[in-house]
Order: sequence, then structure tokens, then C-alpha cells
Amino acid sequence: MSLLQAEDITIMDGKTTLLKPLSLRLDPGVPLVILGETGSGKSLMAQAIMGTLPATLTAKGRVAIGKQILNAGAPDQFRGLWGRQIGVLPQEPWLSLDPLMRARNQVAETHTLVRGLHRQQADRQARDDLAALGLAGAENKYPHTLSGGMAQRVAIAAARAGGARIVIADEPTKGLDAPRRDDVAKLLMNEMGDSGGLLVITHDLALAQRLGSQMIVLRRGEVVEQGDTHQIFASPRATYTQEFLEADPERWSPKEPRSPTAPAVVTAHDLTVARANKTLFSGVSFSIAQGHVFGVTGPSGCGKSSLGDALLGLITPRAGQVLRRAGEAPHSFQKLYQDPVSAFPRKRSLGQTLDDTVAFSGCAHGKIDALLEQLDLDPALLKRRPDAVSGGELQRLSLLRVLLRTPSFICADEPTSRLDPITQKRVIALLTQTTQDDGVALMLISHDTALIRNTADTVLALDAQSHENATPDVPRQSVAIPTL
Amino acid sequence: MNHMNALDLRSTSWRITPIIGAALVFVVALFALLGSVIVPGDAFEQSLLKALSGPEPLAPLGYDHLGRSVYHRLVDALWLSPIIAVAAVITAAGAGLVLGTLAAAMGGWIERLLVIVADALLALPGLLLVLIVLAMVPGTALGFWAGLSLVLWVEFFRLTRATSREVIASPAVQASRLLGFGPVYLFRVHIWPEIAPMMLTAAAFGTATAIMAIAALGFVHVGMRAPTPELGLMMVELLPYWREAPLALLSPVIATFTLLLGLTLLAGSRIS
Repeated sequence: MSLLQAEDITIMDGKTTLLKPLSLRLDPGVPLVILGETGSGKSLMAQAIMGTLPATLTAKGRVAIGKQILNAGAPDQFRGLWGRQIGVLPQEPWLSLDPLMRARNQVAETHTLVRGLHRQQADRQARDDLAALGLAGAENKYPHTLSGGMAQRVAIAAARAGGARIVIADEPTKGLDAPRRDDVAKLLMNEMGDSGGLLVITHDLALAQRLGSQMIVLRRGEVVEQGDTHQIFASPRATYTQEFLEADPERWSPKEPRSPTAPAVVTAHDLTVARANKTLFSGVSFSIAQGHVFGVTGPSGCGKSSLGDALLGLITPRAGQVLRRAGEAPHSFQKLYQDPVSAFPRKRSLGQTLDDTVAFSGCAHGKIDALLEQLDLDPALLKRRPDAVSGGELQRLSLLRVLLRTPSFICADEPTSRLDPITQKRVIALLTQTTQDDGVALMLISHDTALIRNTADTVLALDAQSHENATPDVPRQSVAIPTL
Repeated sequence: MNHMNALDLRSTSWRITPIIGAALVFVVALFALLGSVIVPGDAFEQSLLKALSGPEPLAPLGYDHLGRSVYHRLVDALWLSPIIAVAAVITAAGAGLVLGTLAAAMGGWIERLLVIVADALLALPGLLLVLIVLAMVPGTALGFWAGLSLVLWVEFFRLTRATSREVIASPAVQASRLLGFGPVYLFRVHIWPEIAPMMLTAAAFGTATAIMAIAALGFVHVGMRAPTPELGLMMVELLPYWREAPLALLSPVIATFTLLLGLTLLAGSRIS
């Protein structure tokens, strides 16, 4: 008997159909992956199954969970099942954890309140859960001191603790590096075992491949392809699926090697950077030439972002020097953020923000229009606020904004780690092309080694960091390896 | 089905509460503004023969123990307290906003010093602080304004500092700084839109607190002096005659309650 069976789930926003009738079944021990780009309706589908759709949307269809048959149009029936039957892994770990609670207590709370364990027992169990996820030593930390990957693992431990047989994971690997992603996949599989159900919503191809079994490919609220995961990966039938698979950074065509002939825009000498008295890396030296792409990669918490911030002058290195090319204008060093929504003024339309930048930097207003065309952006987007624009478009708008300042150096800190592969490929291509054409030195930071390998002229790989075993002040050797 | 109803109720009451609050404040304000136009009269004119007598056309709320029209005294009282309160809130909000933003932006010893001063003021009971200032400043109204401003700015300071700190640490501000925008732009575009709604809430609460403080001190005879018509003072003066002239006593009580309830509903509804 299947754990969960959904029939003809349809989601409407007024008269617009967001999801065309979709049926799926979840069997014990067989994970189901729903793959799709942003806006494909895959998260909405999961919300309809859980009864958590926003009130403005209406759902139709039947959901059978165990012996219960529920109506997707009456979401309040689902409430009693949360935590006990259906567990949810949240998308944004930082937002889902209580900022005032230590990691261990967050997990122990579910053990006591949902599973009904005794306090001490729950505490021990929570400790074991965290240790099993490689978080031994971090049990007493508060969420703000955890890295993104660590916070994610705490959230996973807390979601698992309720004992739900069906686990729904919405983008569980967003922003995680490859080893952590594999850990999450392993963890989800372990938790499912032979009797649990697992529904994973993702745009992460590697995760889909690792989980295997069944897959549904969604596009614009419609099923494009459905079937065995390995079969789809081996021989996709739909052109859209092919396109999606091709967008995996592993399959990108490698960049043609270029040797740096242009002058260096920024040079780092023997750089040592520390955060909170913990040395992240030391003795790093390199220079980035005009029009070149300098890739930085490494596992989460290794100090990639701090290296970028040191180059931008946002943090002071503990030792060493950052030298800018002589005669640089004060605002010619710019940054692109991992989460572009948080990098724009929240309550201002994008057009206003860009107009401000134009007025302030004194460039011609026509530059916005020219760049909009160059970056293939719809001018109508400018009327919206940052949170009403998709991630891919907003990242391109961020690029547009910094280009208004005619920068000579851009540090792009994980610019595409929240985007689906198709959008990622597009944004990275535009980013590298534009900076190359304009002679901007680009520092591209990503945990995705394949992405860096296939885009950068020079690669700097930072080592795994000491925060896992908590031994600070260990100097680490870092090497800059020119590709090919 | 049950909790669906509860949800519906909550969402409608969210919209209705500020309307009720605004309506109550509006009614009191209308009374204060137009009261002496509708029924002309003087708050200080005495006619001892009419002491504690009931309503009549020229004094719709009757007479107090000294034969003065309660209606006209109430109109005057409803001018006095709100004006002092609003003036104090404007001063306090301005000071709190400037100092709070300054503390968050500068950090270091400036922030520490301001926080220490604010915490020290917070440790003192507000009414006591107002009393001390009243004793030092000549003129009761001026003293109330100064004392209440001194008490109320702390709340605005803390709100502003807490919010600004978070905003200043955000990537959005970092990005704007890298683009070269100055402090005025950062405040106008990043900080103010986040603070503004909270400021309105705090202002409404602050006004209610100030009116209450003036009335409370009047009630214990250490605030406004007789014969000035003031809400608390009117209550305590009429308290001994509650049996003979219940309407005269109830009038300032109801007016104060309506005004405070209106302000609190107005403030409380904005939080959610």
C-alpha cells in the first residue's frame, strides 16, 4: 500500500492555473523527486499536499495519506498530520531555527513535544542525532554562529525528530557544497529506510541522481516527463529535460585557457584572514588581471566569502596586504551577493534604486536601458520591488546596478547558488561575458567546483576548515593552480 | 471549521481595531475643538448657588463643587493634556530617532554612553523623574513637557537603535555603501522605511502614557494646580461629591478613558 497518494491536484490563483492536474504516489522506501526550475510550481504542489498553500490560492484534488482521504481544497484537515505523519524540511534553515535556542535544544524540543520522550532521554537522543550529522561539538551553539550548512543539518535533525513517516524536503540542498549535499542525500535515504516515504522538491540534478528511483519533471505547472530517474538521466525524451540536464555545470564546455596579459587590478600579498579570532586561511597570494575570471572554491566555512570581503576592503586582514591598481576610483570595487533580495532596499522599487545609482554616479540615464537590453531584462521589472522578482532576474539586476558604477573589480559571492541550473548557466554566462567585454576583473566564489573549473581562468581552492574539529590558529597551505 | 472562523475573526478585527481607535480619538478631539462653539461658556466662571447642580442648557454636564460648568472645564482640560503630551512625544521621538541612529551607526563609546544614559533613565520610575523635573522647571506645563520628553525618548531611542543596527549590518546597506552612497541616503532609503511604522505605534503609546502621567500627578495634587482644568485634578476635586453629582465626576473619567482607549487601540493594531 502506498503511503501517500495524490490525485488530480490542481492549483489556481483566481482564474489562472498554476498547476495542471497532477497525480503522484509515494511508496515506502521509494523516494520521489520533483525536478523543475524556479516558477515551475513544484513548491506549490508540495504545499498543496501538506495543506500549507497561501490563502489566496485554491487547490483541488484528493490526497490519501495512509487510510485517511483528505480534500486538498480544505487545508485545515491536514494540520493534525504535521510532525507525526508528514515532516517538512524547511528551505531556509536560518529562518526556521529559533535564534535564541541552542542547537541541541531545538532538536530535543521535538523529541519531547512530538515524540513524547522524557527530557533527559530527549536530550541524549538530540545529542546523538547531531553527532550522527557531524555536528558533535556544535550542540551548544546558537544558530547565528553556525554556518549555512551546519544550520541546515540542525534543521534536518529537528524535522526528523518528530517521527513522521513521510518526509517532504523542499530544496534541501540549496546553497550546500558537494560533500554536504551528498551527506543530505544519504541522510534522507537513511531516514526513509524501507518503510518511510520521501518526497524531494529540487532543481539540484546531482541530488536527484543520488536519490534515484522515481522522478517527475515539471515546467510551468505541467508535467514534462515522469518515470525512472536513471532512465530519464540516461535518455531524456523531452527537449526541456535535455536542456535541463545540459545545464549541469559538470557538463558545461570548459573555458578556453587565457594567460593573464592585462595588468593586475588587485593583488593580494601573503593574506591571512581571521574571523572571531579563528584563522580561516593564511599566506594566500594572487593577483587578478583585467577581464579575467578568478575562481575561488572550497567547502562551506573555509573563508571564501571572507577572502572576497578582504579584497573589497570590508574586513581588515590579520596579516598581509591587498593592493589596488594605482589610480583606482574609490567605488570601483563592487560585490554581488548570494541572496540578491537582501542586497536591495526592501521597500523601494528596483527602478527607483537604479535611478538613485545613476543620479549619484553621474552616468547617463540611457545606460540603464542599454544594460537592460544587454542583460536581456524586461524594463517592466523595474516597477516591482526586489521580493517580487525571480532570483535569476534579480541577480542580473544586481549586476546591472554595479555596472552603472563602471567597476574595475567585481566579487561575486555565490551569485547563483540559489538558482536552478538553467537560470544559473544563463546568469554565469552573462556575468563572465559582460565582465570580460568591459575589462572588469571578476572574482567568482562558489562551492561548486565544476562551475569554477569550467568558468575561471585561474582557480584558488581553499582547504576544508578547522571549525569542524575546532582547532583554531592552524596555518593552512593554499595553492593557486592555473587551469590547464 | 472552528479554527477557520477564528482566523477569519482575527483578520477582520485587525482591520477594524484601528478604525475604532481612530474614531474614539476623533470624537474626543471633536469635543475639545468644537465644545465651546456649540455651547459658549467659561471654564472659570463661578456661581456658587449652582454648585453641584445637574445639567442645564448652558452647562450640559452640570456644575462642580465651586459652581463652575463641568462641560467647559472638560473642554479646556482636553486641550491641555493632549497638547503637552503631543509636544513631549514629538520632542522625544526626534531625540530618540537622532540618538538611536547615531548610536547604531557610530558604535564604540558613543553608543555605549548613550545606552548607559538610556538604561539609567529606564531604571528610574517615570513619574518620579517627571516630578523631579517639575520641581526644577518653573511653570507646570513646561515642566511636564520637559519631564515627559526625558522619560519618553528612551523608548524611541531603543526602538531606533535596535532596528537601525540590524539594517546597517544588512547586505543591502553594505551594497549601497560600496556603491558610494552617503549616510543621508542610507538613512532615507534603508533605515527610515523600517522604523516609520514602529515610530507611529510608539508615538500613539507615548501620547497615552503622557496623558495618563499628567492625570495621575494631577490626581495626587502634585501636577497641575487649581484652578487649571486638568483631567486628574477634576477627578480628585469631584471625588468627595460622587453621591451628589455623579455625572460631574464621571465626565472626566469617561473622557480620559475614551481618549486612552482610542490611542491604545490605534497603537496596538499597528504592531501585528
